[in-house]
Amino acid sequence: MDPMRYGRLQELFHDAVDLEGEARERFLASVEDGLRAELMELLAEDERAVPLLGKDLGAVAAEALEDIPSGLMAQAFGPYRLEKLLGEGGMGLVFLARRDDLGSVAAIKILRDSWLSPSRRERFLAEQRTLAELRHPAIASLYDADTLADGTPWFAMEFVEGAPITDHCEARKCGLQERLALFRRVCEAVQHAHRHLIIHRDLKPSNILVSGAGEVKLLDFGIAKQLAATEDRTKTGLHLMTPAYAAPEQLRGEATGIYTDMYCLGVILYQLLTAKLPEAGVAPSAARHVAASRAAWSELDVLCQTAMHAEPARRYGSVEALLRDLDHFRAGEPLEARPDNWSYRAGKFVGRNRSWLAIAAAVAAMVVFYTVRLREARNEAVAEAARSQRMMRFVLNLFEGGDRYAGPAKDLRVVTLVDRGVDEARALSGDPEAQTELFRTLGDVQRKLGNFEKADTLLRDALEQRRNARGDRHPDYAESLLDLALLRADQARFEDAERLAREGVDLIRRAHPAGHPAIAGALEALGKVLEERGSYEKAIGVMDEAVALRTGSRETTQADLAASLAGLANVHFYAGHYKESEALNRRVLSIHKQVYGPKHPAVAEDLVNLGAIQQDTGNYVEAEKYQREALAITRPFYGEDHPRTAAGLTLVARSLIMQKKLDESAALLNQALAIRERAFGPMHPQVASTLNEVGNVALLQERYAESEAAFKRVVAIYRAAYQGKHYLISIGLSNQASVYMAQKDFARAEPLLREAMVMYRQTLAPTHVNVGIGRIKLGRVLLRLKRHGEAKVETQTGFDILSKQTNPAVSWLNNARKDLAEEDAALRK
Amino acid sequence: MRVRGANSSEFEDWPGGPIGEAGGREELNRLFSVAYEELRRLASAIRRADPKAMLSPTTLVNEAWLKLAGSGGVSWESPLHFKRIAAKAMRQLLISAARRRGAMKRQGDGALLVTFDEDLPAATPEGCGVDEILRLDAALDGLARLSPRQASIVESRFFGGLEVAETAQLLGVSEATVARDWRVAKAWLSRELRKEG
Repeated sequence: MDPMRYGRLQELFHDAVDLEGEARERFLASVEDGLRAELMELLAEDERAVPLLGKDLGAVAAEALEDIPSGLMAQAFGPYRLEKLLGEGGMGLVFLARRDDLGSVAAIKILRDSWLSPSRRERFLAEQRTLAELRHPAIASLYDADTLADGTPWFAMEFVEGAPITDHCEARKCGLQERLALFRRVCEAVQHAHRHLIIHRDLKPSNILVSGAGEVKLLDFGIAKQLAATEDRTKTGLHLMTPAYAAPEQLRGEATGIYTDMYCLGVILYQLLTAKLPEAGVAPSAARHVAASRAAWSELDVLCQTAMHAEPARRYGSVEALLRDLDHFRAGEPLEARPDNWSYRAGKFVGRNRSWLAIAAAVAAMVVFYTVRLREARNEAVAEAARSQRMMRFVLNLFEGGDRYAGPAKDLRVVTLVDRGVDEARALSGDPEAQTELFRTLGDVQRKLGNFEKADTLLRDALEQRRNARGDRHPDYAESLLDLALLRADQARFEDAERLAREGVDLIRRAHPAGHPAIAGALEALGKVLEERGSYEKAIGVMDEAVALRTGSRETTQADLAASLAGLANVHFYAGHYKESEALNRRVLSIHKQVYGPKHPAVAEDLVNLGAIQQDTGNYVEAEKYQREALAITRPFYGEDHPRTAAGLTLVARSLIMQKKLDESAALLNQALAIRERAFGPMHPQVASTLNEVGNVALLQERYAESEAAFKRVVAIYRAAYQGKHYLISIGLSNQASVYMAQKDFARAEPLLREAMVMYRQTLAPTHVNVGIGRIKLGRVLLRLKRHGEAKVETQTGFDILSKQTNPAVSWLNNARKDLAEEDAALRK
Repeated sequence: MRVRGANSSEFEDWPGGPIGEAGGREELNRLFSVAYEELRRLASAIRRADPKAMLSPTTLVNEAWLKLAGSGGVSWESPLHFKRIAAKAMRQLLISAARRRGAMKRQGDGALLVTFDEDLPAATPEGCGVDEILRLDAALDGLARLSPRQASIVESRFFGGLEVAETAQLLGVSEATVARDWRVAKAWLSRELRKEG
């Protein structure tokens, strides 16, 4: 049969099939002999109308895909022999197996139909590798692994005899505390996995068994993911997981991270509390199942709902954070997450105006302070209860405008927020100790915000109160001196700063035995002050001592030592001792790797520092390598949409600019921009800072329209954010002017530069490097506009400012020299 | 022939056409896993004579689609496009499983294959399903040489459970054409199967 003949046969079939009786007979008689017999057979088949197969597809599948390969039970699996089938999943079969020699049991997992596709085989082996990596008492461990003669892979793991955690709790009618204790154990196991950069991604009760003895075991890492692996959106493994426990981002097929496991932990907690799966909008307290007080339920709601928040960024950031709140709850302390994750909210609102990360860190420090403070005072019974209530109210009032449910007003600026905090703190006069602590903390926040006068008042009040309460030899008083010293450094009152810091160090030396870690802490503050002062050599001496103290002290944790070393590394960096800085940063890096593992954000930060050294020394290829390595940690850790990822992208982009890889750089910057726009909204200074880079790259690429648009947005954002007055506005204006200068439209550049200079004058010292550059640029514009006299004044002033800088911008100086020569020549004529 | 040998991956030599357009190997592997697991589910339901055993290829592929579509990041242009490819995956999967099973039966108790087969549970009527599906596959390949469109229609409808209307939309022909093609193709295939059987 060939297609032509078949075509003809078909035609005949269709013509004949609707004919009946004689008509059909006649038709058949007219058909050519060669096709008649076949046509008749087809018509006969059509009339029989039997299905193509005697069985439906499922039955065929049932036959073709064996249930349990029959010879399997007789096989030897290393030292094990199978006893009975325990269960089956998408991937394979799990058997109970026994060791012939020792009589011990194991669970053996076998990949079924391993020959079908390589990807299933890979996934199976990935699970095996994961188990091999994780050694934790609450995670079923791997015993053995091999492949059968026919290529079927298998592995033997710890056999866990127990019930799913939810069933266990129901069967034993566990109380709240027991449930939370079991849940805590689950969290610890997940934390262990996360520390090894493994996300489980399929946490659910049936994968968490509790033995008769109450031991928790986490099973089934079948779709777990190595965090270190590049994010692969096609491998979310959703089709293999249980939808009820899938986090929203998993359902949407978006990137997964530790936040995905956080969500699942939330669902499990919800189930432990309510014996139900969560329903949207139903708080655990509304579906309560175990007994607890009303107050406790309100805390549990917060805990649970923070863990399973729909937005990954608003969940607990890590299992550690969840564990901390679990412990707070069990100790009757306020939760860090309360209410509706206010620290997140506070961070977000506080961040509106100034460096988001610095302030978020300050706020986090405040949170930690309350918690620590409250825990320390826990035994003070009644007085304590009153205090914690006041503290809670304080925090709530601070961030919620006094009304928790209304939420913070949109226009609530950080200054207002902290001012309100100050009022609250002043009202705490019945509790001088807490008040002093608050003054210190708020003073520190004000200092970081750049509100030096307000910081000054607060820190001096704290100092005063401590002097009164403890005397001027007490280490607490010394601590306050150091706070004030750091403020003075920020205020550029360096002599005062150094004097205060030295006084603080002396007091602390006297109050503690030699080698005490508190001395190291004080020296680190003094070192910081000296660094800010520009006394790098002195700073290095002091920091060296701090490092030596930390090294010699038994009480020093590796993390403390690393922090001290990092401080020293920074001073060397600023002093231009790149080799020393690099060596120190490498030491910090190796400590951090040892303490936190190779893929921790602290490690990423060290890599960023190492990259900065390479960038500064002109090794842009090396810089790129470090920054990319850092990004490879940051991105999977924080997720694709996190501001830290954006920061990492920007650093890589900077290293690329200098290598003239402009297209690639622009692509990364645009990614960073998109992240920041999503995270902060379109009008945030963080967005402007990325836009500024975008504009610069576009300028280098001679894409002037894009460049201009970017800088215009930069200016608009900074104007809005800083109420029209800030040196950053000038930077935007000056950059916008560069776009016109590049296009030789000098008349258009002039007014922008003039405006920039006016604002610089209001916001920066007249000798600031930006002022110098601005004046040189204005000089160039005036020169091209042939206003030589005016031009010369600007160029000369700019040149003088820049030549006095410690690290003068050479290219600007050279430009200025050239322009000056041209101006002089023109003026002589 | 689509299958090189029992041990090779199905996707190693999948012919061009819609599969190639559908996106990366990754997607195909994923689809293959889904198809596999859905078929597994169906098979074990049937074996346990579960009431849910009423699952048809239609529900099978629909559910697979829902899972994959819900997981996002799926580059399939449309549910139809997906179903078409899922039908191919189902066919490939069943055929290679059946082929392997057939091969083992023929090899008897060969040393390499002791783990599999030899004696099947008595409850399962042996043979016809596995052999039939292999013969149908061969007949379908034959039909593809005579009329690729008809082979495509049979594959989509039989293995993917696509409706006449869906098939028509997918192939860009009228429903009447699909109905006519289906009728003649089915008669042709029945004849082929009978001839060999």
